[in-house]
Amino acid sequence: MATATAWRTGRATTLRTWHMTRRAYPWTYAVGTVLPAALTIALGYLGFHAIGGGETGADFAKGSGTSAYLAYLAVGATAFQFTVRLILWSAKALITEQRQGTLGALLIAPATRLPYLLGFTAFAVLSSIAEFLTLGVVIGALGISIPVASAPGAVAGALALIVAVFALSVGLGGLMIAAGEAHISQNTVFIVLGLLCGYTFPRDYLPGYVRWLAEAFPTTAAMDVLHGTLTGGHTLTDLAPRLAISLLLSAAYLVLGVRTLPYFERRAVERTY
Amino acid sequence: MIDATRSAARVFAAESLKQHRRLFGQPLVVFSMLVWPILQLATTYYTLRPVATASDAAAHWPLAADPHRLLAFLATGTLAYAFFFSLVQSAWHFSFERTTGTLELLFLSPAGRLTLMIANGAGALLQNAWLLTCFTTAALLGFGTLSVASWWMYGVVVLALLIPAVAWGAFLNSLLVFSRDSAFLYTVLDEPLWFVSGVRLPHFALPAVVQVVGAVFPLTGSLIAVRGALLEGDTLGALAPTLGWLTLLSALLLAAAAVILRVGEAHAQRTGRLRLA
Amino acid sequence: MPDTGIEVRDLHKEFPVRDRGLFGPRTTKTAVNGLDLDIPAGRITGLLGLNGAGKTTTIKILATLLRPTSGTVRVDDLDSVADARAVRRRINLIAGGERMVYTRMTGRENLWYFGQLYDVPKRELRARIDELLSLVGLTQAADTMVERYSRGMTQRLAIARGLINDPAYLLLDEPTLGLDAPIARDLRRVVARLAAEGTGVLLTSHYLAEVEELCAHVYVIADGRHLAAGSPAELKTATGSLGTVRVTVPQVPPAVAEVATRFGATRTPADGGGEILTLRSPDHMAGPLAAAIVGAGGAITALEIKEASLEDAILALTDGTVPGPVVLA
Repeated sequence: MATATAWRTGRATTLRTWHMTRRAYPWTYAVGTVLPAALTIALGYLGFHAIGGGETGADFAKGSGTSAYLAYLAVGATAFQFTVRLILWSAKALITEQRQGTLGALLIAPATRLPYLLGFTAFAVLSSIAEFLTLGVVIGALGISIPVASAPGAVAGALALIVAVFALSVGLGGLMIAAGEAHISQNTVFIVLGLLCGYTFPRDYLPGYVRWLAEAFPTTAAMDVLHGTLTGGHTLTDLAPRLAISLLLSAAYLVLGVRTLPYFERRAVERTY
Repeated sequence: MIDATRSAARVFAAESLKQHRRLFGQPLVVFSMLVWPILQLATTYYTLRPVATASDAAAHWPLAADPHRLLAFLATGTLAYAFFFSLVQSAWHFSFERTTGTLELLFLSPAGRLTLMIANGAGALLQNAWLLTCFTTAALLGFGTLSVASWWMYGVVVLALLIPAVAWGAFLNSLLVFSRDSAFLYTVLDEPLWFVSGVRLPHFALPAVVQVVGAVFPLTGSLIAVRGALLEGDTLGALAPTLGWLTLLSALLLAAAAVILRVGEAHAQRTGRLRLA
Repeated sequence: MPDTGIEVRDLHKEFPVRDRGLFGPRTTKTAVNGLDLDIPAGRITGLLGLNGAGKTTTIKILATLLRPTSGTVRVDDLDSVADARAVRRRINLIAGGERMVYTRMTGRENLWYFGQLYDVPKRELRARIDELLSLVGLTQAADTMVERYSRGMTQRLAIARGLINDPAYLLLDEPTLGLDAPIARDLRRVVARLAAEGTGVLLTSHYLAEVEELCAHVYVIADGRHLAAGSPAELKTATGSLGTVRVTVPQVPPAVAEVATRFGATRTPADGGGEILTLRSPDHMAGPLAAAIVGAGGAITALEIKEASLEDAILALTDGTVPGPVVLA
């Protein structure tokens, strides 16, 4: 019974968002999401050829387990873009309702919040596919081929990343409505994740204490799995402990987020009335 | 003439106060003009490190051999980019004065239109850029990587950054005041700007087409001049072509701003709408 | 510079209209169609008309925000197009409901900001800001950020802004719109005082009582055209002093209905039952109407005569009850 209701809430949210976005899709939005990743990959490509002469330093291979710098960068930049996209949809769902003035209507509805947010994430995952195809064209045009060491591992890594970003988004979304602010929080989260979680460079480059800090985010371990099973030459079994860590951390963030969300919602209502 | 200068100075003072009140102490300014650029600088540095540490790198790009100099190269890029992008942001904000109605009051006043646009940009720049400027200056001095031909080249650096940036700001302000879809400009001038202007890569690494496109943006020339003067010990003579081009470009931007203002205001007076066409 | 006032001659303004998007057919909409106005120094001149009559367009042309399609506007012998910058120094505009000030600045800073744009001499500016703040009752709140002002306070600040350059000519577009009654009254006093001290004022307002109280001379326009002009008293006389006679009757037998039709009275249901017969006519028609109703066997429960007001005059003019143009002294 409860599952059926949750399913209906999630499905309704996905469909609603799909319709709303399809009707008024700002194409600048698509440019804004695909472009940063494409430009990062292009930056690496140009640097790799013009500066590195088609080679990388020894410490890169040591940290990443591969010498395929461009493939590593393409995976990282794409994953990062995906992370940004997912956070934009999931974490900003509630504050968008707040700004439209529909948060009140949502809060008094009996539906629980988790399926609602899952609906947003499902939409974001689906709609990102088109953007990935565009990025794929860029990667292909630059002649970058991405080795797949373990296909099941890569799928597991990608799923772990989705779960991790979703888990982070629940709490972040709560913070946003309580603070009534999205711009500063979202961009700070993007830029911190991009620096710490080993998207576009091996984490070994970072100073020791920063590396420990990175472990606090479930996205870090998820990126280890994704990079490892694609360019890193590892199997899923090799990386099972990292996968487990990522999922455990995600679960912790999710529980924390769901527990604190009602509090943040109350704060948001008190702040605006 | 003296009268015109005096009234222009008063418009500058007025706009400076406006921007000071709007921006000073705002968390957004601290984040977007200090925290984010520094974290982004670190990410870029680490992302490029694999290619800069390649065995051949020093042969292609001597600067890459020294991690501190590479960092200084990227830091100057970050600073200059922040200068120019803050003006994009400020012009975007200025365009909101269309909807709040204060823009009409500006056009009601006898104040010179181009002066207003320049003053607005300059005011925003001063408010936005000082944090990052202090940080970058301290960092560059701390790294000990500076190589400057003579003390007054610092003055050249400041001018090579400020004048084109202010001209750029005046141009963007004029354009956005009369644009219907400023979101488009905002997107186009964010990410692509760093790419084509050589913010994160030396000029020679960019394809010819990108170099040509980049030359249109004053940020490109500013960066060449600033990096040449600070990191390569270039003399004024060596930088003369770049500085000449920057001067020309700044003049063109200001002329374009003047034309846009004239056409835009005439159109507004004819149709009652703030648009160019 | 001679205070020759604002002279508007044969003013036309057409707006290009593009129907259905970018490639639709282009037409023009005429907002002002051959207006002549004189706004001398030291007088409050009214500009009246219904919505869409062209008042705001006219005011915006006088303010140099719009350019006339043809015709001239001269301000103290300066052409408002050719000498726009000099004209802008001599005029200012206050639009009603206007809250166009910078919210991140204090009231004092807003006035200082606009004073700089108008190049008000430094020493004068300081004194004038204090004077204006006290004039609009914002001395206490002078150094508070405008974002913490109430709606009325912001509006008062906007009024002070309109006076920052001590304009020789003040254009007021619905200045009391949305103001609390006491503040509106204070503003009217200020405007009257400014005019007495020599400022030329052009006033448009929906509150005709306000126009009647303040304006020495009123222009009435409709569809961008001149309809009538004169003092409020002259306008009332010229429109035949159409007052309103309202007769409440308990019921309307056919004979009374016939009387109503004969007199041209409109019939509306009365609140407490029965009907109200309303007649817009000269005052002396009340007697004959009442007599005719009684003569037709009807009864009268109430009879109300309202004297002609400027409002009636304007309504009569714009309804076409009185054929325009009516030109008076």
